[in-house]
Amino acid sequence: MPISVTMPRLSDTMESGTIVRWNVKEGDAVKSGMVVADIETDKATMEMPVFDDGRISKLLVPAGQQVKVGTEIAIILEDGESDDAAPTARPVATAPAATPTAVRSAPAATSAARPGIPQAAPADIELDEELEVGGAKFRVSPVARRIAEQERVDLSGLKGSGPGGRIIKRDVLNALENLGSKPAAAKSSSMSTAAHATTGSLAVPVTPTARSTGLVMAGLQSTEVAVSSMRQTIAKRLVESKTTIPHYQVSMKFELDRLMALREQLNKDLAEQEIKLSVNDFIVRGCALSMAKHPYVNASWAGDRILMHQQVNIGVAVALDESKGGGLLVAVIRDVDRKSLRTISSDTKALSEKARTRGLSAEEMSESTFTVSNLGMFGVEHFTAIINPPNSAILACGAALKQPVVRGDELTIGYEMTATLSLDHRVIDGAMAARWLNTLKHLLENPATLLV
Amino acid sequence: MEFRDAIRDAMSEEMRRDARVMLIGEEVAEYNGAYKVSRGMLDEFGARRVIDTPISESGFAGMAIGAAMMGLRPVVEFMSWSFSLVAADPILNNAPKMLFMSGGQFGCPIVFRGNDGAGGQLGSTHSWCVEGLFSNVPGIKMAIPATPDDAKGLMKTAIRDDDPVFFLESERLLGLKGEVPVGEDVLVKFGEARVRRAGADCTIASWGRPVHFCLEAAEALAKEGISCEVIDLRTIRPLDIGAIVRSVKKTSNLVVVDQSWSFGSPGSEVAAQIHQRCFDDLDNHVHRVHTEDVPAPYAFNLEQEYLPNARKICEAVRSATYNA
Repeated sequence: MPISVTMPRLSDTMESGTIVRWNVKEGDAVKSGMVVADIETDKATMEMPVFDDGRISKLLVPAGQQVKVGTEIAIILEDGESDDAAPTARPVATAPAATPTAVRSAPAATSAARPGIPQAAPADIELDEELEVGGAKFRVSPVARRIAEQERVDLSGLKGSGPGGRIIKRDVLNALENLGSKPAAAKSSSMSTAAHATTGSLAVPVTPTARSTGLVMAGLQSTEVAVSSMRQTIAKRLVESKTTIPHYQVSMKFELDRLMALREQLNKDLAEQEIKLSVNDFIVRGCALSMAKHPYVNASWAGDRILMHQQVNIGVAVALDESKGGGLLVAVIRDVDRKSLRTISSDTKALSEKARTRGLSAEEMSESTFTVSNLGMFGVEHFTAIINPPNSAILACGAALKQPVVRGDELTIGYEMTATLSLDHRVIDGAMAARWLNTLKHLLENPATLLV
Repeated sequence: MEFRDAIRDAMSEEMRRDARVMLIGEEVAEYNGAYKVSRGMLDEFGARRVIDTPISESGFAGMAIGAAMMGLRPVVEFMSWSFSLVAADPILNNAPKMLFMSGGQFGCPIVFRGNDGAGGQLGSTHSWCVEGLFSNVPGIKMAIPATPDDAKGLMKTAIRDDDPVFFLESERLLGLKGEVPVGEDVLVKFGEARVRRAGADCTIASWGRPVHFCLEAAEALAKEGISCEVIDLRTIRPLDIGAIVRSVKKTSNLVVVDQSWSFGSPGSEVAAQIHQRCFDDLDNHVHRVHTEDVPAPYAFNLEQEYLPNARKICEAVRSATYNA
């Protein structure tokens, strides 16, 4: 029986993938485990193995084309089967996308669907996806879509007031007004009917000369840079985060004299073992231990309930090389509360290196429950970070700087670091955040507690 | 001036101007017209140019077509357009196709005019609204005025036109009074719609008697904060689709009001063309208000419900603008 190969879901957030190259051609024999294609996901280019022995009958999607997860991309025939047995290309079938609040998704390896296993009709899946994913698919009137494109309004942040949630013209115009811009004919009530009666003018209303967001300015010399899948994903997810999560921030200063001294001592002692602990390693360990006392910080908002996670998986934000267009990945260290500083340090180093070479696996990028973003190494003293959904909090750490500080009644020189926690107020209240920060403060200011 | 007198003036002025123009139909001469549209014309132009006929629509319509082919410019009055169905073969099968089928040798400069539509408790067979039925035929032109001034201007243009023109009057409008311009050359060009009321939220397009219901609805909707632009198309063929396109680009919504039945009607044609030409400008699908899809009832109250009216138009506009 012909075997259908579909676009696999290689990360939690992956909705579509681009076939960078096929490593096989039609007629080639394949064996289970053989890498037949390289797939660019929203985060990385990854290898795609097949799980069956046979012969490639058809490559249905050419290299360079982006298709949705679940789309049939190739057909394998088992030994002895003729090409006549291969079905012709079928319409795009999509697997349901993971919801933003989903904690666990099916393993990537199960995505090569086989004929014979009953699957829902494509139309039903489409419908479910619309209902389930919400923001990912919209019902939108033609003119609302056109104005949104012209004015660069992100429809994912809008709630449609038309039937079935359809986004209509007034929803987009209202959004534009809220952004502080008024297109030429935003609202009917503002139009002079008398003027039309006398002049007979039937001018097209929305013909902006400049984008309302100010992104395009006449006379500005600019170079266009194509946007990668990763950049698109970053943009989409961060807009989603900022527009759907009620963010607030709480900052605190930490005295790091003892931590810096301990770190120096440990690094000296462990130099022979080629271990070098970073300040960030201590922070990650401190964050994980703080969760034991304040589990709400290690939770996710799930629409009508809160999911309290039983694992503490901390994502570490890794910036990619600017010369290659930059980008941001979150490498996930699992079960941090059960790992030693040394393990955390080596895990972080290994994952960061893999992140920079785009070699992170789907598992290594998914299922974080909390994120740490650190710009201390760049000398940044203070910043705020955007929550990485479905996390409820992210810690933005500045540099541990030597500066004049008050210790007791003395003015002296010491290390201080400012950290800012961004929180989802639906899950975590201000006092809860403050208590969590105090726990972290106690741990970081008494760093021996991090060692045991 | 009343609507009926505006039509009479148009015919009389054209008969004075052009000796080839004549009027023919049942009771148009001695009785001054069943609806008194041709009042006084027999006295002025005589029985050779204002001709009474027996009840024989097929006969006098066919005769007038022959006269037109021989160089006259007849105006044919059907007492009611419902009765024109008897003359369907000459008016639909001969007149509009003559120029095409004769290889351009014979044109057919003729005007068929009469009362169209329901509204006078005349029963189903007398209440046809024929624009849906007849506008389907290529070769004809169709004018449907809503006001006395347009009635005069469109009639004069119809008489001067070298093609057969179907001129649809409403009995319910014949007594309507309005300003009518004086002068031989007060012509209303075919295929040029008129914006009767400017607005920004929804375009309402119509022609003939329902234009007045549209204006009534627009007035009521304005009080609810919904601003409607009312367009009177004035002619169905040619159709001024450009005027509706321009308006829809502004309002993003369209309600078409048509007093013929919905299936295969001018209203459906407008809806189809607007979906085709303005898809990216629409905020909702085109809404249509038509006469109900049943034979015209006799009872007064049922007849009012059968036809488009202001209430139905208001409902359609509210639905189109998501204010339902």
